[in-house]
Amino acid sequence: MTMLAQRAAALVFAALFPLLGFAAEPQPTHEFSLDNGLKVIVREDHRAPVVVSQLWYKVGSSYETPGQTGLSHALEHLMFKGSRKLGPGEASRILRELGAEENAFTSDDYTAYYQVLARDRLGVALELEADRLASLTLPADEFAREIEVIKEERRLRTDDKPSSQAFERFKAMAYPASGYHTPTIGWMADLQRMTVEELRAWYQAWYAPNNATLVIVGDVSASEVKALAKRYFGAIPKRDVPPAKIPRELAAPGERRITLYLKTQLPSLLMGFNVPGLATAENPRQVHALRLIGTLLDGGYSARLPTRLERGEELVSGASAWYSAYVRGDSLFVLSATPNTQMGKTLEQAEAGLWRELEALKNAPPSADELARVRAQVIADLVYERDSITSQATTIGQLETVGLSWKLIDQELAELEAVTPDDIQQAARTFFNRDRLSVAHVLPEESRDE
Amino acid sequence: MSERNGLRYGLLGLALLVLLAILALVANRPDVPVNQAESLPAKPAKLESLAELNGQAPTHRNLKIQSWQTAEGAKVLFVEAPQLPMFDLRLTFAAGSSQDGEVQGLAMLTNAMLNEGVPGKDVGAIAAGFESLGAEFGNGAYRDMAVASLRSLTAPEQREPALRLFSEVIGQPTFPEDALARIKNQMLAGFEYQKQSPGKLASLELFERLYGNHPYAHSSDGTATSIPQIGREQLQAFHAKAYAAGNVVIALVGDLSRSEAEALVAQVSGALPKGPALAKIAQPQEPEAGAHHIDFPSNQTHLLIAQLGIDRRDPDYAALYLGNQIFGGGGFGTRLMEEVREKRGLTYGVYSGFSAMQARGPFMINLQTRAELSEGTLQLVKDLLRDYLASGPTQEELDNAKREMAGSFPLSTASNAAIVGQLGSMGFYDLPLDYLEVFMQQVQALTAEQVKTAMAKHLDPEALVIVSAGPSVEQQELPPPTDTPAEQPAGVPEH
Repeated sequence: MTMLAQRAAALVFAALFPLLGFAAEPQPTHEFSLDNGLKVIVREDHRAPVVVSQLWYKVGSSYETPGQTGLSHALEHLMFKGSRKLGPGEASRILRELGAEENAFTSDDYTAYYQVLARDRLGVALELEADRLASLTLPADEFAREIEVIKEERRLRTDDKPSSQAFERFKAMAYPASGYHTPTIGWMADLQRMTVEELRAWYQAWYAPNNATLVIVGDVSASEVKALAKRYFGAIPKRDVPPAKIPRELAAPGERRITLYLKTQLPSLLMGFNVPGLATAENPRQVHALRLIGTLLDGGYSARLPTRLERGEELVSGASAWYSAYVRGDSLFVLSATPNTQMGKTLEQAEAGLWRELEALKNAPPSADELARVRAQVIADLVYERDSITSQATTIGQLETVGLSWKLIDQELAELEAVTPDDIQQAARTFFNRDRLSVAHVLPEESRDE
Repeated sequence: MSERNGLRYGLLGLALLVLLAILALVANRPDVPVNQAESLPAKPAKLESLAELNGQAPTHRNLKIQSWQTAEGAKVLFVEAPQLPMFDLRLTFAAGSSQDGEVQGLAMLTNAMLNEGVPGKDVGAIAAGFESLGAEFGNGAYRDMAVASLRSLTAPEQREPALRLFSEVIGQPTFPEDALARIKNQMLAGFEYQKQSPGKLASLELFERLYGNHPYAHSSDGTATSIPQIGREQLQAFHAKAYAAGNVVIALVGDLSRSEAEALVAQVSGALPKGPALAKIAQPQEPEAGAHHIDFPSNQTHLLIAQLGIDRRDPDYAALYLGNQIFGGGGFGTRLMEEVREKRGLTYGVYSGFSAMQARGPFMINLQTRAELSEGTLQLVKDLLRDYLASGPTQEELDNAKREMAGSFPLSTASNAAIVGQLGSMGFYDLPLDYLEVFMQQVQALTAEQVKTAMAKHLDPEALVIVSAGPSVEQQELPPPTDTPAEQPAGVPEH
């Protein structure tokens, strides 16, 4: 599903470089809260008569407990199955007939619902969204059918996809202490025994206006959004939600390794280091240094991994590095590689190659040229991201939902420019060591017998 | 992302970036809108907001498309967008794999090698050149077309060097031997990777069965036997004829005046090899109907059900687009999604669509389901298609689909990225400048009978080409369908 991939890419991208009013007139952004605690953020973008509405809930798979994995994602599916004013699927049918794009996504830290539509229809999106926040039906027969769809989704996206399967197991190992080890779609054993009562309890616990953020970007004014938000969400009462503990990890859990034999043709490698996120870092500068390291390694075809390992040594057919700073708790700095089997390279050699690049970061600061290139990309990306109202809204919603502020957007360039070459070297020395490391080797099933 | 790194991520499918990013961040429902019962009773709207809508089609961004030809014969489509200090430039060449001739994968490999070397610069210098300006180079090759694109800031200190480099890349690629060897190896790794994807294997098989000896039959990627044999001089020859200025459409959107745009496009057009448009490819022959199974050790079975459809200039395009939109286009709310997913929980997603191409592209239905229910599911989908072709859409379905298309129209031109894509497609398929408006008018004027007639004319439920990929397991009966309750269930939890 291309659009999905693109949107996921946009999310990753947004996580790297949120936008900023740079080199263009800043877009007016307004923030207010209703009396029931619903936070609303409106960003004006008047280029086209369209608008995106996103409602973000502070709940996701990292909130779940063993035996109940997959609840947040399953609830997301059931949110389309009816509420007080709407029968099962009816909201979606109404939106479709209005020509809206709509969807939802669930992650470790959030569950979000969105509609993109012509500006004159915003009220419909808000009324539907408010209705299912206030009065979800959760019928047992709809659940019985939908859980089968979710199992199909798991088979399609995880069980029949070796790379996804590998990452699920890797993640479970790499986060020993926090809920981040839980796969968002849930373990199959938990899907098999999930009940509609559990979903009702999950909904009651977390779906309250004071646990949500409404983000609107497009051809609207703050005052019209405020009137609509009050009208549709204003009467929904505030409710206590359970305390949400920030997911904390051990600083140095010790080196962990797994070998997986899967239905794959190509071996591959995953490496992850336990590191803080922006919400948990003692020194935010370290986090921004890690973000820049991600870009130095993999921010374009001229970055270090493609230049040195893919083209230079031809050690890998592909390699990547990524790090998400904008999470609720601690994070992971992840590297992956596929050894160049055509050139006879092995997993061990690829792992050694990735380590050489990490050691290089520890041993010498990056050059001014390299940093200038990264800066140019950051500046341009801040403008490019403004071409899409959806990615603007997603950046705002994600920051707010993980407990940071959307105003970080405006500090983006300054934060990154404050990072010195020495900071980068120090961050590499602090975090890239074996006590923090998890490694997965993924091999074809046939090679097990060799 | 997929476009920018077409080769690295698209072709090779380097899972451990894209797929993992998806898994880590998003586990959601299929794209798009939802749900549609057969009969939407005209019950009183319970939504205040819906009752307040005036029923008029929404306004949309007014595109002033400007068009001209360059001195070298390239067609240009330009939209001025002064709101953001950036531009998107998209060159669409009739240089897809249907022009491969005997050398499968030649078009793709030529396209992938554009940015691997120019006089005085190797791949690293080219990449560093774009990236140090914050510019994004993109490329990709498909069956009809090959694309090269540039996104950059418009300030002269970024725009001018970015354009110089882009002009070198599209006009003077050197196709270095070492890079060629490396890219071939990566493509071979990509072919290995494909073997773990039942959906991909099914798709390869389907196109071969649909198209036989036609140039659409083979994958744009070529094969593990064709790619190693391609030499540098073949790439040079293909570039000289297929990347000629007479064989390209140049689409441009951004913060540029007409005169700035003309200068920019003249520079790009002048950098290309001189030459005319390539001859259009012939229409394919009708395929042999029938089913073929690929045994694969997955949990699910992938099903592809297809026929030859239409080319992009077919007069029935609007009727078929609307007809398909009701049957299985765009996700939730279609007949397929309603019957297969919503009422029976058999699949995560089921879609149908016409790919209207230069020559007749496929009409295809695709889905995945539990292996033990695959035969029953296939029969269900075939029955749904037969019923739809026999009876056509209801008036209500037709009205709803028209409303939907009018409502989504503003979204199709909301961003620069969306507009440049529309311009590229309109230019490539020789559509008039007012095409978007005309298409919408055509759709709104259609009757249910016209849609039924067009669908029945182009599709035959007895002439399907079917490919499945999955394990061979004992089959079970389908569960019975459940109907969406017409009345609202009582007992809604209150807060």
